[in-house]
Amino acid sequence: MDLILVNLIDGLVTGLLLFMLSAGLTLIFSMMGVLNFAHASFYMLGAYFAFQISLALGFWMGLLLAPLIVGVLGAGVERYGLRRVHQYGHVPELIFTFGLALLIEELVQFIWGKNQMPYAAPEILQFTAFSIAGNSIPAYKIFMIFISVAIFIGLLWVLTRTRVGMIIQAALTYPKTVEALGHNVPLIFMGVFGVGTALAGVAGVIAGPVLGTFPGMAFVLGSIVFVTIVIGGLGSLWGALVASLMIGWITTFSKAYNLRMEDLLTTLGFTKPEAIADSPWRDLWSITSPQIADILPYILMVLILIFRPYGLFGKRGV
Amino acid sequence: MTAALELAALKKSFGKTEIIRGVGLSIGQGERHAIIGPNGAGKSTLFNLITGRFPQTEGTIRLHGQDLAGKAPFEINRMGLSRSFQITNIFPKMTVFENVRCSLLWSMGYRYNFWSMVGRSRALTEGADAILEQINLTARRDLPAGVLSYAEQRALEIGITIAGGADVIMLDEPTAGMSHSETDYIVDLIRTVTVGKTLVMVEHDMGVVFGLADQISVLVYGEIIATGTPEAVRANPRVQEAYLGTALEDH
Amino acid sequence: MSDQITTDPTKPAQRMRAGSMVLPLTPWLIAAVALLILPFIFTNNSAITIMNQMAITIIFALAYNMLLGQGGMLSFGHAVYAGVGGFACMHIINATDFFANLPLPLLPIFGGLFGMGLATIVGSFSTRKAGTVFAMISLGVGELIAACSVIIVAFFGGEEGISGDRTYGLPFFGVEFLQQIEVYYLIAAWLMISAVLMYLYSRTPMGRMANAVRDNPERAEFLGYSARWVRFYSFVASGFFAGIAGALFAINYEILTEENLNTTQSGIILLVTFLGGVGFFFGPIIGAIVFTLVQTVLSLQTELWAFYLGMIFVATVMFFPGGLAGLIMMHVPAWRLGKLGHLAWPYLKTLGGGLIGCLGAAALIEMIFHLRHASIGDHEMTLFWTTFDSHTVLPWIIAGAVTVIGFAICRATAPAMVEAWNEANAASKVTT
Repeated sequence: MDLILVNLIDGLVTGLLLFMLSAGLTLIFSMMGVLNFAHASFYMLGAYFAFQISLALGFWMGLLLAPLIVGVLGAGVERYGLRRVHQYGHVPELIFTFGLALLIEELVQFIWGKNQMPYAAPEILQFTAFSIAGNSIPAYKIFMIFISVAIFIGLLWVLTRTRVGMIIQAALTYPKTVEALGHNVPLIFMGVFGVGTALAGVAGVIAGPVLGTFPGMAFVLGSIVFVTIVIGGLGSLWGALVASLMIGWITTFSKAYNLRMEDLLTTLGFTKPEAIADSPWRDLWSITSPQIADILPYILMVLILIFRPYGLFGKRGV
Repeated sequence: MTAALELAALKKSFGKTEIIRGVGLSIGQGERHAIIGPNGAGKSTLFNLITGRFPQTEGTIRLHGQDLAGKAPFEINRMGLSRSFQITNIFPKMTVFENVRCSLLWSMGYRYNFWSMVGRSRALTEGADAILEQINLTARRDLPAGVLSYAEQRALEIGITIAGGADVIMLDEPTAGMSHSETDYIVDLIRTVTVGKTLVMVEHDMGVVFGLADQISVLVYGEIIATGTPEAVRANPRVQEAYLGTALEDH
Repeated sequence: MSDQITTDPTKPAQRMRAGSMVLPLTPWLIAAVALLILPFIFTNNSAITIMNQMAITIIFALAYNMLLGQGGMLSFGHAVYAGVGGFACMHIINATDFFANLPLPLLPIFGGLFGMGLATIVGSFSTRKAGTVFAMISLGVGELIAACSVIIVAFFGGEEGISGDRTYGLPFFGVEFLQQIEVYYLIAAWLMISAVLMYLYSRTPMGRMANAVRDNPERAEFLGYSARWVRFYSFVASGFFAGIAGALFAINYEILTEENLNTTQSGIILLVTFLGGVGFFFGPIIGAIVFTLVQTVLSLQTELWAFYLGMIFVATVMFFPGGLAGLIMMHVPAWRLGKLGHLAWPYLKTLGGGLIGCLGAAALIEMIFHLRHASIGDHEMTLFWTTFDSHTVLPWIIAGAVTVIGFAICRATAPAMVEAWNEANAASKVTT
């Protein structure tokens, strides 16, 4: 029971982190119809910038400044890159962001090298917040949860309660009309893109010390983020939240509990072949849940796509 | 003889708004039927229902007596119904000739064929050229369709629509956005290429409607308030009141 | 551009006789002859290795372009179809009894069938939609299968992959494929066969409808074709040819690992195809040749080759979405008018300046890289056959000056080039 609680917290941290990325990605997608392949690269840039700033000014300035820089960079990418490619259609847009993701990874390697950066949580947060049945919960995890939830509430408030949010929501559905009403839609697009990438930057800043700051970090998380928004339904913010938490918990739990395929198959009434080493099914028998934890999201995605092609919360025809 | 197209108690709602509120209509073989009505009456929605672009909420649509419920556009097309679009809908990157040839493929029995060369088929080439001749685009044969003038693109659209040999042709505002001379040209074209076929059209231009149609239905707020010959519709007091009162004075 | 075409009523209808446009033979004959004699020109083993790699990449890129260029479907996981084809072939090679009765040149057919089989399964749900949804599914499925390679050890061989010996096959007219050159001719033959077949496919009703669905799926549906099934068939056909490429990879390298399946590999093939140009059949061929050469040459010279490649790729997407093939075809009108020669000198001035600028910039980048990442105390670096101390000022001044001068020349002569370009294409305007 206590272990379940610990895993619930761990999964929540992972899920909320995923949500910070998928929220920005979904917002950008539903607004511009562009799936930003380089989204996780901005997450990586956030971590690296924060690391560099933290060397000079400390962690907290990094948390403040790095997302801002990432957001400005993101807005610049929209203004000078994406807007240009937009005229060629959606597929070149996707290819552009894909190329950008490659380029950013190479750029990061060019500047910081291939090794992991010694980016760590600030000392003030390096203590045990509380422990459950001998498992200590670091304060940094609580801090991560706090930041993510705060950002989510802030985002929700801006989108539903402020004038800017209203305009954004309107521009999501009727960009032409909103433009005709005198609002600068290209500027809104640029802003949303900037904010979305800045959110990814925040995620990078707070995840960097835990998950490691290295050139492959964008790639590791990137494809999971895409899977998340496909499962949640392209363009649905609630779908992104549900899918993020779901994936967070599924992967955490399957890593924590060593379920073995052998036990499952035996329970189902199969008998283990005698000469297991020669059997073509030997890999099936030896699978354990921690082993496949990282590919469960992909399996989930394929299943969802087969049975609910529009995702959990997706609208038909998106 | 069964009607070419038969609608019964057809309804369509988007959310809570009912756009088509129980339409019943029977269009006979070889008839030239125009659907007119003020803006927002639901003409285009009705069109999209018939051609399977949207599913209907209630009611039935029958093509040559066969129910179209749940059929995808391509299945409806194979049953002998072809349509044009209000906004020009062609293959802009392909040549004019290719556009027409692609629309011949299914009806000439090629289906999902991946072993014969389209260029080798004399029937395809001649068929496509014959249609180009009909729509007077022979001189534009090898240009990308996207560079044609607007009227030419509309003509091509009609060419694509009739090419498959469908016997029910549906045209969605074929003369929208055209000048007077262009309109006259397209009307003549429609008249010649739809000889012997059932024609259903939505049109705003009353000159076109009264020139082409032998039956007219008036759609107002999702209901058909009158159906009949142009003269009868013109004389119908309800129509006068609802719609033509203003529109006809202009013509 | 569009005006001059539409307002030209004098243009006579160019009627082609049916059949005359099916297969222009000349380019194919040239290609076949070139493939035959290339090993006599580049005789050393490393050249043949590069040519083998090139030929395999060409087949894969052409297969990929059946999706991207012809069908408008962007796949981020196409390496798995080639990879699975390759893995299957490797298992056939290792199935000694069966392989002893199978001539090696027939093996790629099996690779194709396995690639096609996988594409049939995945395509059954992934081709419902084109565009973004398709791209995401292809990525997810690609990642899934790549991740499976470490779990399903029996098929993928885990971390170390699986390997075999191609020479155990039934000798083919006495050839046992011990020599690299024999393998070259096997691959070259399959390159010709696959390229011709893929070209012919694009001329069949399915190939034409793939284009139609790419441009306007809705219209295609109202012509009697289900957009989904058209996409599905393109996907399956593409999977077949990708499988052939994978089989040839297995024959050539005799080992397959997770690297043949992963997203990096899928990304490379997208890059190759797009650089070459998706709009024309021969685009991916150019892309594969150029990419293989650049990769081989650059990766010997600099650690940063992937960085440069990334920049070239992004620049291509932004400024030349037609790729290299598009750039070449842009010059066809000028060539028809016989004015291509007029462009040579302006091009030389502007692009030459740009090239010098790029080299200067590359030198700066290399020096920064050296300054940051070379081991401490290592001040010496070699660049463009010159060895110097990267911690002194002079090389920086030289590199900076070259960069500035190069780009300055490029900028100063650009208007003249644009003018020359307009001039070279102007004749068609006179006739209007």
